[in-house]
Amino acid sequence: MGEFKVHRVRFFEYMPTAIRAMSFNAHTERLALARVDGSVEVFNFADRYFQEKVIPGKDAHSIEALCWVGGRLFSAGLHGEITEYDLENLRPKYSLEAYGGPIWTIISNPQGTHVIGCEDGTVKLFEVLAEGVQFERNLDRQKGRIISLSWHPSGTRIAAGMMDMIRVFDVLTGHAIQRLLVDRSVGGCKSRETVVWTVVFLSDHTIFSSDSAGKVQVWDGHTGTLVKTHQLTKWDVLALSVSKDESSVVAGTSEGTVVQFQFIAPNLQQQEKEWVRTRTFKNHTHDVRALVEIGTAIVSGGMDTQLVVRPLLEKFEEKCFASGLRRIHFPHRNLVSCAQKARLLLLQFPGQLELWRLGESDGHGKPGDILPLKTKPEKLLYLKRKGKDHICCSALSSCGGWLAYSTVSSVRLYRLQTDNNISITKVPKLPKVLRSAHQLCFSSESSYLFAASSQSSVLFGCSCLGENDCEVHVYNLQKLELHCMVPMYSSCPSAMGIHPTTNNLTMVHADQQIFEFSIAEKQYTVWSRKLQMQGLHNLWLNRDTPVTHVTFNPKNPDQILLHDMYMFCIIDQSLPLPDQKTQFYNQMTLRSLSEQERPSHLHAFKVCKSFQDLMCMRLLDDQSLVVVERPLMAINSQLPAPVRQKKFAT
Amino acid sequence: NKKALLPPPPLNSSARSRICIQILPMEIYHGNASSKKVNCAKITKEFQLHLDSSDDDGPEEVTFEDSKTSALRSMKEALETTKREKELLKEKRRKRQELFQKQKVGQLNKLGFSKNVKLHKKKKTNISNPFCSRLKGNYSVMRVATQSATKSQQQTAMDFIQSRLYGPGSQRTTTNQLLSLQNKRGQNKSAAVQFVNEKWAKAEQMTKRWIHKQKVPSN
Repeated sequence: MGEFKVHRVRFFEYMPTAIRAMSFNAHTERLALARVDGSVEVFNFADRYFQEKVIPGKDAHSIEALCWVGGRLFSAGLHGEITEYDLENLRPKYSLEAYGGPIWTIISNPQGTHVIGCEDGTVKLFEVLAEGVQFERNLDRQKGRIISLSWHPSGTRIAAGMMDMIRVFDVLTGHAIQRLLVDRSVGGCKSRETVVWTVVFLSDHTIFSSDSAGKVQVWDGHTGTLVKTHQLTKWDVLALSVSKDESSVVAGTSEGTVVQFQFIAPNLQQQEKEWVRTRTFKNHTHDVRALVEIGTAIVSGGMDTQLVVRPLLEKFEEKCFASGLRRIHFPHRNLVSCAQKARLLLLQFPGQLELWRLGESDGHGKPGDILPLKTKPEKLLYLKRKGKDHICCSALSSCGGWLAYSTVSSVRLYRLQTDNNISITKVPKLPKVLRSAHQLCFSSESSYLFAASSQSSVLFGCSCLGENDCEVHVYNLQKLELHCMVPMYSSCPSAMGIHPTTNNLTMVHADQQIFEFSIAEKQYTVWSRKLQMQGLHNLWLNRDTPVTHVTFNPKNPDQILLHDMYMFCIIDQSLPLPDQKTQFYNQMTLRSLSEQERPSHLHAFKVCKSFQDLMCMRLLDDQSLVVVERPLMAINSQLPAPVRQKKFAT
Repeated sequence: NKKALLPPPPLNSSARSRICIQILPMEIYHGNASSKKVNCAKITKEFQLHLDSSDDDGPEEVTFEDSKTSALRSMKEALETTKREKELLKEKRRKRQELFQKQKVGQLNKLGFSKNVKLHKKKKTNISNPFCSRLKGNYSVMRVATQSATKSQQQTAMDFIQSRLYGPGSQRTTTNQLLSLQNKRGQNKSAAVQFVNEKWAKAEQMTKRWIHKQKVPSN
């Protein structure tokens, strides 16, 4: 099949940001996640936890809490504003100043209309109207800051977690009717106030609270008395979440553990149920700051930046995709653009772009050899973004002469000169229509720039196509009109590519299915039908991470190159498709076979796992491959300080 | 029980008053041989019934006035020592401040700033800025940008969260420690992690220093 020279790039110092808040919309099965840098991501839990939408953040605009009201997403932060997001155009729709100082939490009423913002001392009620959010009234002002809130399911009471105490408000009158005093830490520092980080109000008026002294306490909301104290850890318990049926409460700690409490009868004889501490999950190395219990799984995230979905195995009858532990590390889209002709890489960070020239090597060797470099990779340009909005997408033309990036408020285009002297000039006066783009793409001859605004992505091949909410439209460039639409498929496409010669559209979906559509004939190709008949191999279908890029080899039209986080694969359409019994990962075996034996064992999927934690894989014009790796170990070594745990014999 | 064998105390008024005195602060007993055998706590429980019995002779006569004066004296001395210490500290601080001022001026001179450089028109700043009078030499203060109230509130809130999670008493450690622990307790046990990357090694050192500073004296 061939050997490739591989440029193994590790100079992309990508650092994800910590997860701060999460909110699950059970109706649409979407999880909204907010990070410390203010960016918001939406994951589709009905489609293999695919990261559907990403809204970039803004400087000095951190988010403390998120909440869904119907299909609308709201956030609040220490900047004192409530923001609603436009999920179609992937940007903040508007921000409303709450006039109460920094907002610590925002929660919505189970009836679905009220949204509470909560600040230094006051609990404010806002009404959610069709066109926005409107201030309704304040509840009685308190003396301390209000860190957490929880509605009683009936909508008549609100529990507020403050410093050293919990207050229960009657919503109708606005008065505080109960005061529950929380103890300070046992031993340790008694002079420090206890912060009640989260409260949860259940329908039977039981209140769960978690605090900075490491306790989870169960209170009776009617009488205002403490029922039970569970000392979980000596550090903070930062997150709490209750399941929909109120039979389980989970707590997340600074140690990285998630502890589950269930409402069950403690022994067989007893009929009376009580809240019992059951399981402990340790899936994180750092503080767990956001936690959500969704029917069948516990979703947690925190300072170690990964999103962990831990299924509750008693809810599954058989092993399936949803019953496995999932960790989501990298974004499900590309942060690296490659200029195949000019051998340049554009690395996208939230605050800047870096342009690098790849190194060169003349050497030859056997597979696995490390070739000596003639010239080292060189950072040519560091382009800092203008304004406070973070960069949402970027693109580099194939010839390396054009560079473009977009934020939620502007698109910027630059002319590049990289031959001898590096120079960059901004192209002024872009059309006003182009206010922001969700995805940018240059045509292969660098004659056109395609900018997709609103929730769609664009690709260029001989035609151009746009994808919107799982619908793929193909447009004819000469006639500038819609050519055809690809049949709808239930899963979202995670990567697409148009073949330069055959003009076939290859799509890989979030559920790992692969389709090939002929644009000329407006139907699926023969190969694609054959693949669907045969079915994809189980090992392919059970992969954790989605394919984020599809590309082709100009010298070999039968090849399709694609990659996900843990492997890259070359699909050779001229070879037979593997069936379920074939050894799927057969590259090592093939190498050990003789020349005569090999042909009978070949199949179309050639998978290489030598390069891991892949952010990008491209084929350059000179037939060498570029793989951009970001080892997870490198990320983990630069995370903030974890808690100090003393372990015996270390 | 030894105490049961003790003879009952002589029932005269001086003996009773002696017992009362012995409940006063322990300092009174320092240097008093027989009193060393006396335990204050024991006396508070049993003062009505027993006296220390190891001597057959009665304890030394200590009049009320004597013990009163010695108590008052010791209190005065204690107050005086604290006053003196405060004065010493003040003196130290003042000297340090002077030293810093001298060093600062020295630095500025080195960098080429002469004492006579005016940063802003003196007239304006004198009116608008109350801090001007505190500055030595010809320095003046100029406002570069106005910081809004919201920003400062935001900053306070961020500082609050930062100090709760990472501030004193938070008992944090470095990522190197965490990774080393994972190595030592993993399936294939290996040695502690050492960062080869210069940047990471430096960051590690800085974190260690910061953690050391955060340590709160234990209660």
